[in-house]
Amino acid sequence: MSKKEKSIMKLATAFALAFGIVPSAFAMHIMEGYLPVKYCIAWGAICVPFLAAGFFSIKKTLRENRKAMTILAMSGAFVFVISSLKIPSVTGSCSHMTGTGLGAILFGPSAVGILGIIVLIFQAILLAHGGLTTLGANTFSMAIAGPFVSFGIYKLCRGLKVNKLVSVFLAAMLGDLFTYCVTSIQLALAYPSEVGGVGASAIKFLGVFAPTQLPLAIIEGILTAVIVMTLETYALPELKSIGFSKEVG
Amino acid sequence: METIDHYAYASRMRGINPQLKAAVAMGTLILCIGADRFWVSVTVLLTMSAVILWGGGLTFLKYINLLKIPLGFLILGTVAIVIEISSRPFGYVLFHGFGHYVWVSKEGGVTALKLVLKAIGALSAMYMLVLSTPASEIIGVLKDLRVPKLIIELMHMIYRFIFVMTDTQRLMKQAAVSRLGYQDFKTSCRTFGSSAGNLFVVSLKRAGTYYDAMTARCYDGELLFLSEEKGVRPWQVMAALSYFLILILIYILVP
Repeated sequence: MSKKEKSIMKLATAFALAFGIVPSAFAMHIMEGYLPVKYCIAWGAICVPFLAAGFFSIKKTLRENRKAMTILAMSGAFVFVISSLKIPSVTGSCSHMTGTGLGAILFGPSAVGILGIIVLIFQAILLAHGGLTTLGANTFSMAIAGPFVSFGIYKLCRGLKVNKLVSVFLAAMLGDLFTYCVTSIQLALAYPSEVGGVGASAIKFLGVFAPTQLPLAIIEGILTAVIVMTLETYALPELKSIGFSKEVG
Repeated sequence: METIDHYAYASRMRGINPQLKAAVAMGTLILCIGADRFWVSVTVLLTMSAVILWGGGLTFLKYINLLKIPLGFLILGTVAIVIEISSRPFGYVLFHGFGHYVWVSKEGGVTALKLVLKAIGALSAMYMLVLSTPASEIIGVLKDLRVPKLIIELMHMIYRFIFVMTDTQRLMKQAAVSRLGYQDFKTSCRTFGSSAGNLFVVSLKRAGTYYDAMTARCYDGELLFLSEEKGVRPWQVMAALSYFLILILIYILVP
């Protein structure tokens, strides 16, 4: 490669880096067609047991209380709308919440799996975030792994008598970060590095997406805490109706 | 909120049977990703775009804007795949420092180009489906695939509620902006959080009202939706099959 070619490559890389950060930073939905077929199938298969558990848990809830149907549907729509909104950001780029941490804290991790996959389907077909073939991988990272971590951390913090808002903040932020790590690993498994294998590749993906994802996780934590605070102030009876009351107090 | 759904309702291909469109889109997606060949991806991209633009009647500018949606992910992801970091370089070195080299391998560029084209090709195949088929019809296709009734009902309801809530949210945002609610970062966070919380409260109240309305109309745990019957013409099936055949032939014949 000549000197001129080298400088062109450098310029192109800088351009790619600068340009890549400016467009809307979505919560790292893996785009349509980005994963090879066998990974699409494998991640889809991994989701099945979690989705089945969520399905039966929702079915049980509905048997006890049929009114939960509209509440569940509203909750799903709520997660969709929240994740489609532009959130305040410091840098001026436009980014979006995932809403998974909030969902996990409000509805529990098993119901969120089912709501999550439906929301992801709508995000793919209405907004083109994510895709049909990558649905399995995205469901695993955003509707299963993230919410489970959020819920676990929330429970743990509450058990350790940590302040409620701090617990919500930590749960949402770490759930978001975990989603980002899982997505990076999913991409790394599909595209291992030539020299370092999957590990090196995962580090590359983590590094490239870090500038958009780290601030996003913190903002998501703050916003989720504010939302929960508002809900507790104004909507305690409603929260009780969706089962949040068990954790209140 | 301007969604892809709006374009789907306006599409000239709306009259075509949704099952057929879904089958063509999924078949093309699988062929495009499974084959992973340069020319297959190019063919898929060109043909699907042609179908969307001429068959569906979408304007070129709108289509380009839609293709740009996953651009951020595509660029970042591909940069991560192409660039290698190690203590010894094996290809073209871009930067070096701290005892490590950032380099691009000779095959890296080709791999990246193939991957980008494959992803955009697949994206165009998905767009062919979603830009010509409203979401309610796609849910109908899922129903035919024997997805559990509970999920289908939830999807139908979520789909409706999304628009109700988006509208409520728009009004709330307007009110907040006119009262300087998004003046700076700190205020924005507070306004965003409390309006999202309020949105949830409002929507839960609405959920109660909708349930009452449904019960008043004899809802007993089963929702039924009327779906339009759209027939399949023999030539459409023939066209779809020959399209798949052409893709397979390109896969076999062109290296």
